[in-house]
Amino acid sequence: MHFDPVANLQLLVSGLAFGSIYALVALGFVLIYNAVGVVNFAQGEFVMFPSYIAVTFLLPATTVFGTIVHWQLPIVGVYLLVLVLMVGFGLLFNRIAYHPLRDRGWMPVVISTIGVSIFLRNAAQLIWGSQPIVMPSLFAVDTISIGPLHISPQDLLIIGVTAVLIAFQFFLFERTTLGKQMRATAQDRATARLVGVRVGRIVAITFVYSALLGTISGLLVAPLFTVTKEMGALIALKAFAASIVGGFGSIPGAIIGGLAIGVIETFGGFYISSAYVDAIAFIILISVLLVRPQGLFGERVAEKA
Amino acid sequence: MRLDRKNFLATTGAAAAGAAFGFPAIVGAAPEPIRLGTIPCLTGSNALLGQQEHEGAALAVEEINARPDKVYGGRPFEIVEEDATNDNQSAVSALNKLLGENVVAIVCPVLSTEIQAMAPVMKTHEIPWMTGGTAVKNTQLGVPGMFRLRGSDGITGAGMTNFAVKDKKGKRIAILHASDAFGVGGADQIVQTLKKLGMEPVANEQYPKDAKDFTAEILKIKQATPDVVLMYIQNPSDTAIILKQVHSLALNVPIIGSPSLGNQTAMEVAGKDAYGTYCAVDFIVGFNSNVATHFLTAFYKKYHHLPDVGTGSGWVYDAVYMLADTYKKQKGTDPKQTIASLKTIKNWNGVLGTFTADAEGNMVHSVSIGQNQDGKLRLVKKVTG
Repeated sequence: MHFDPVANLQLLVSGLAFGSIYALVALGFVLIYNAVGVVNFAQGEFVMFPSYIAVTFLLPATTVFGTIVHWQLPIVGVYLLVLVLMVGFGLLFNRIAYHPLRDRGWMPVVISTIGVSIFLRNAAQLIWGSQPIVMPSLFAVDTISIGPLHISPQDLLIIGVTAVLIAFQFFLFERTTLGKQMRATAQDRATARLVGVRVGRIVAITFVYSALLGTISGLLVAPLFTVTKEMGALIALKAFAASIVGGFGSIPGAIIGGLAIGVIETFGGFYISSAYVDAIAFIILISVLLVRPQGLFGERVAEKA
Repeated sequence: MRLDRKNFLATTGAAAAGAAFGFPAIVGAAPEPIRLGTIPCLTGSNALLGQQEHEGAALAVEEINARPDKVYGGRPFEIVEEDATNDNQSAVSALNKLLGENVVAIVCPVLSTEIQAMAPVMKTHEIPWMTGGTAVKNTQLGVPGMFRLRGSDGITGAGMTNFAVKDKKGKRIAILHASDAFGVGGADQIVQTLKKLGMEPVANEQYPKDAKDFTAEILKIKQATPDVVLMYIQNPSDTAIILKQVHSLALNVPIIGSPSLGNQTAMEVAGKDAYGTYCAVDFIVGFNSNVATHFLTAFYKKYHHLPDVGTGSGWVYDAVYMLADTYKKQKGTDPKQTIASLKTIKNWNGVLGTFTADAEGNMVHSVSIGQNQDGKLRLVKKVTG
């Protein structure tokens, strides 16, 4: 196969776009893990559920509980509405799935998040049915063509929004009191409580922030994917692998891990074989763990202790 | 009559005695329903196909049970449904559960991969297995009583390839297919047909299950500079996303696809990205018999949306009616007798056309090549196997 710079650039843009989505969802995993010490297996549903809500309000006609509803609200207004609703969703998730079980160890909480995941997927099928739904894009055109190069503006939007969110995240954690309180809670909840951090509130904010990251991922990727009840689970699986490659608990690790998996998948599919693209991703995962069991950016167990 | 304890005991005692002595009419016992098993994929990423199967079966049963004589002798159909989900192991578990439910026939899931996984269990039970799975291998698995109510991939794959080469004058054919049994089986049929025509595909790309980014596959095909691309895909959602990405990446050559390209949902979701594409399908609206016209009308009246006739609801509807007709004719539901009767089916009219059983259990022997013209599928030609 000859080297084609145009094809490689297209692969890079596509890989970075999908990698960005993995990175955002991986960040959600890591933030909750750092705050409460458990993996949230409903993270994928934080992507899927708001996407369904968005299409319900966006499209001229959507079937909800077998009844056709007609909203067709402006796209920016719908985005804002969904973000507001997902703040409530994050708070509710914290109150129902985590808070009652917080003193019973990690296992009941993990099972609780799995339960919520199954519930939300089945609820989505019950409410919106099994038909895939197309979410309109912000852009009037599907492709920007520059000579032989054809790039989806949605891919560029995904990469841009992810870059902004990553910058915002560093600002939040490094420059604001709230971010410092979130970091303190992640490092040592008991000590954070001793120095006056309202740990319960910080945990709730973490769930909300994580839900918002999932929501933004969903709104960004839905025009490319179509909205289905499985869309979140597919992304979450890769995002989970990304957060392990990066070092579970590491924010830079989640970002780099997500981008790396997205890019490697796309190039692996092109240069090796699409049939083995999942195998390639998981061989990399195993190789990284063999060389650095703590992941690329993870702390050694001794350091954490 | 006042229903106090004494009267209640006397009535129920008499009824029980009557039933015990074989006088069901005295207690007003309804004729025993005929239990029909179905295993659609109701959850998982193929839930749409499962929902369509469920709707087709439910409509047929509702119509049959509304007839004065129901299936025959006043006996109605009763559907016993188990969820095959989206993985082979769950499909086998669902099948095992269903086999303990005293069913007289089973309508299988449409996914060939699940049918092939269930085959070892199916071989041990001699009952009619009605399938819409199109992989050629499905009727060659040694399962007694397997009947296919759609055109096989042999007919579809060969039909698509011949159309690409002879009608579209393709000289450089590329293939894009799913990595499941359906996709691999279909791609094999295309490669075999090309071989007979003295050709080889310039690219043969498959994508893994649940993939959503097809950039690598499409760019690889584009690099091979094909003049026609043949797609063999089952999932309507995958089909729509691929067409969108084919359009975005400017792969501007004729696309000819398996029946999912003519699937109502795929056409709606893909929108303009599917305009101009061709597909080999079981059914095209506008070229339908009276049975099909009735089905389309009744389906829309019941569900308020159009059916996916070929891949989804139509073949299941046909399967239920075919069994009902067979039971009525033979005045019984004995599975072995039913298998023998189904093997002699000839020129039976259903939604998908005329059914005639061959030695392997294939009942449909032609498909249509259609073209998506502004969102509507138009007949281009009929292809016979």
